[in-house]
Amino acid sequence: MIVSWNWLTDFVELPADPAEAAQRLMMAGLNHESTERVDDDWAIDLEVTSNRPDCLGHVGIAREIAVLFGRQLRTPAAALSATGSSVAELARVRIDCPQLCYRYTARIIRGLRISPSPEWLVRRLRTLGLPAINNVVDVTNYVMMECGQPLHAFDLARLGGRQIIVREARAGEAFLAIDHRTYTLQPGMCVIADATSAVALGGVMGGAESEVLDSTTDILIEAAEFSPLSIRTTARTLGLHSPSSYRFERGVDPEGVDWASRRCCELILQLAGGELAEGVLDVGCPRSRPERITLRLAEVPRLLGISVPAKRVRQILADLGCAVERADEKEVQVVPPSWRRDLSREIDLIEEVARIHGYQNIPEDVAVPMCPSYTAPRDRIARKARQVLTATGFDEALTASLVPVEWSQAFSPWTSAAPVVSQLAMKGILSEAPKDLSAADHVRRSLVPSLLEARRYNESMSNAVIELFEVARIYLPQPAGLPQEQTTLTLVSGQDYAFAKGVVEQLLAALNIATELTVTSLSLPLLDAHKCSALSLDGRTLGYLGEVNAEGCKRFGLRAAATCAEINLDLLGQLANLTPQFAPISPCPSTARDLNLIVAESLRWTDLLATVRAAAGEDLEEVCFREIYRDTQKDGADQKRMLFSITLRSANRTLTGEEADAIRDRIVAACTANHGARLLG
Amino acid sequence: MALPDLLQQLDEFVTAAVTAFGQAASPQALEESRVEFLGAKSGVLRALQKQLGALEPADRPQGGKRFNEVKRAVEAAFQEASARLASGATQRSDRRVVEFDATLPGRHFRLGHLHPITQTIEELKDIMGRLGFSVADGPEIEDERHNFEALNIPLEHPARDPLDNFYLAVAQGGSPGPLLLRSQTSTVQIRVMEQTPPPVRIIAIGRVYRPDTADATHYPMFHQMEGLLVDRRVTMADLKTVLRLFATSYLGHDVHIRFRPSFFPFTEPSVEVDMSWEDGWIEFGGAGMVDPNVLRAVGYDPDAVTGFAFGLGVERLCMRRHGVSDIREFYRNDVRFLRQF
Repeated sequence: MIVSWNWLTDFVELPADPAEAAQRLMMAGLNHESTERVDDDWAIDLEVTSNRPDCLGHVGIAREIAVLFGRQLRTPAAALSATGSSVAELARVRIDCPQLCYRYTARIIRGLRISPSPEWLVRRLRTLGLPAINNVVDVTNYVMMECGQPLHAFDLARLGGRQIIVREARAGEAFLAIDHRTYTLQPGMCVIADATSAVALGGVMGGAESEVLDSTTDILIEAAEFSPLSIRTTARTLGLHSPSSYRFERGVDPEGVDWASRRCCELILQLAGGELAEGVLDVGCPRSRPERITLRLAEVPRLLGISVPAKRVRQILADLGCAVERADEKEVQVVPPSWRRDLSREIDLIEEVARIHGYQNIPEDVAVPMCPSYTAPRDRIARKARQVLTATGFDEALTASLVPVEWSQAFSPWTSAAPVVSQLAMKGILSEAPKDLSAADHVRRSLVPSLLEARRYNESMSNAVIELFEVARIYLPQPAGLPQEQTTLTLVSGQDYAFAKGVVEQLLAALNIATELTVTSLSLPLLDAHKCSALSLDGRTLGYLGEVNAEGCKRFGLRAAATCAEINLDLLGQLANLTPQFAPISPCPSTARDLNLIVAESLRWTDLLATVRAAAGEDLEEVCFREIYRDTQKDGADQKRMLFSITLRSANRTLTGEEADAIRDRIVAACTANHGARLLG
Repeated sequence: MALPDLLQQLDEFVTAAVTAFGQAASPQALEESRVEFLGAKSGVLRALQKQLGALEPADRPQGGKRFNEVKRAVEAAFQEASARLASGATQRSDRRVVEFDATLPGRHFRLGHLHPITQTIEELKDIMGRLGFSVADGPEIEDERHNFEALNIPLEHPARDPLDNFYLAVAQGGSPGPLLLRSQTSTVQIRVMEQTPPPVRIIAIGRVYRPDTADATHYPMFHQMEGLLVDRRVTMADLKTVLRLFATSYLGHDVHIRFRPSFFPFTEPSVEVDMSWEDGWIEFGGAGMVDPNVLRAVGYDPDAVTGFAFGLGVERLCMRRHGVSDIREFYRNDVRFLRQF
């Protein structure tokens, strides 16, 4: 809301310095955006919160200044003397949609002369950045900017049947607006119609066919109150935002409607002459009067932390326009003014007291009681996971939760349920992604596609090492209720399967997860048919791991090979041991032995390992895989050599070389028995 | 003897011997070291040579090769030390063929970097944790009760406009009405208060969603931190104090807090919070006393307890702290950006 400094002087004695007024207004809730010189005036731009439509006019701002500076507010009386015939003989008004239009008033002036507005009026409008049109239209704008009530002037001669019908728009009804563009209306919108067609879009914009022209002599002045929700929907649907719709959306002063109508007529008579018809056409239901509110004075310190003297409380409320009905040392009872529909509860009054008394009076150094705080396991797990990932060389990425349909369909290992789709897409987030993608409106079921795109982007920047991970939620639709939001850790690496698997294993180790990781092969889109696995713990799916295949690389525009892993962090949270218990450390040195076994190609490490562990007994400290080597000439077809070493250590004595050899021999024997293994050399 | 063990012993031997010869300050000391490492009867080298014989035959060539390299290196170091002592020099010889360049870069292994937003969030959690606020959590896909109704945002409120929210296309079967991506972390307040009797002292940090087109200062997804304290006798003075302590901790020096009246549906009184910055004030976030309607909506008695709530944007704090001028940098995930923090 831009206000003219000179205009304000009509209503209140102002402080000498506009900057001082702007500062006080800002600290009372009207945020100061800017002050600019316009001719001999100051244009002060104030931000008005949506709960304060009373400040969308100069009188309202002047009232705030009067309260803050302890001055008197002067408002024009808007007294009229009618000389013409009765308004009821000249026109009729009917409301057919009381849910869209609460009240409609009309006054009529006949025999006026349209001309340019006088200089003082043009200047004031110019300060606000409004153009001058003619004396009638300018006055309607002027009065709106004075009190916040929008007004409209119709050319009475062009109103068919001299009739105003306020009704709901019909589906597909066409309306030629004052901007000479045609809008298609729909039910829920409020039109002002004459006997034949819509002549205005109520509260939003006037119509071309009833607008005031230079030849106009008789006018009908509309001052009405429309439903805020309907106005907002209409303005938004049609993209027609006006100072009028802005005010009706926020709600006008029901008791200010008639004042605005009178004020408007007063000024038109003054500037354009003519004769005012007797009376007013006033239809619709009067709004309920504001109800009495009781403010318990003890509530003020209970909420604000400071006490405000009872007298000061009463003074503030009275200055703001409240009628103080009763006051004692414990309570104040007031009826708020009609222009403050935001005041309906005790807390609303307390806020007014705080606002006017001044928040600077509230201390910032009171003793707030101490209290312990806790870190949820979920947070500790995520923190550990991030530590492991950064320690293994990954940079953390953040990607959007909505993805294009192509990504949503490309990879969804966790669920086959159809993804949740947003009505709106995220705009502007794919500006660097390939151009042929759809809009980002699918709620993602995996982080993998987003990170593959991040990898593609980095490749396109020729960044040498691209190791990325993200911790974020994926959204798994459920048959009923909210989707399940699974906290998920995903990594995309330029290294191979074994490296990514190593990171996952190190993560499990960091969280002290005792359960053995189970790896089963499966087939997933985008991933290599052989180097792709499902990971599970205790029979529950932990995640997926695999190397991106040629098709996946092509689909996501990747030049180099990549591996991805996606892990359910919530499951890790359930299995993690965040308080590991001390295990006694043997005081004895360890001994190592290397083994090199020739085994069948089909033997898997995990099976061999189980045999080794079972055969070794309690002195086995560690089994360390070294490598696989193939020499088909010496060993025959379908054979491979598995090289690994074992570390042996007893809890209470130093193992001799003979004992270590015996354990190794047991292991070899078991491997031979279980897997047909042969010891090399 | 396993090959890796022997190789390791050889490495240790060469390091120890070269160091000892290099540090020998007199011919006598050098001779003592020579006997220890190269002595024909019981020198370390001799012992290692014996172990070479205990290797698996397949491993012997590799072990032997390394043994010879080590032997040559140690003998060369001994010769060099003898020459140095003979010439009377106490400094390291500058006649070495291969000069050690101490200015060459060290060997690096790649350390990953946490996203700057994560780093900011962790700091906020730490500070608020010290002030007694625990982190609470809630879903990002919400129903209208938690995103609006319980927060005193009635149906006709502009904040509920379908064009200002990411409503989901199809209501889930059995869900209470339409769902949307939460537009604020205040939803977590409601969920916590519904399940916990007062006192409540929490923060909620996470992703929130508003359909702004991405540009330098907007992104349709961003992060918010919300704080909530509900108890008996909680006042706006407590709010101002907690915010001052928070801002002072975050900036590391004394900060003052200024309230300007504002309007939010879920708090009353509502204020914009500024903190002092150099000679002026900067916007910090929104705050206020929890609206009695919100307390009632979760079954609290507004005559028994009061509370305050505050919220702030994580991106904005992070941008200011690190001089990031375009919010989209956070979500572009260029490793050259990520590795700066």
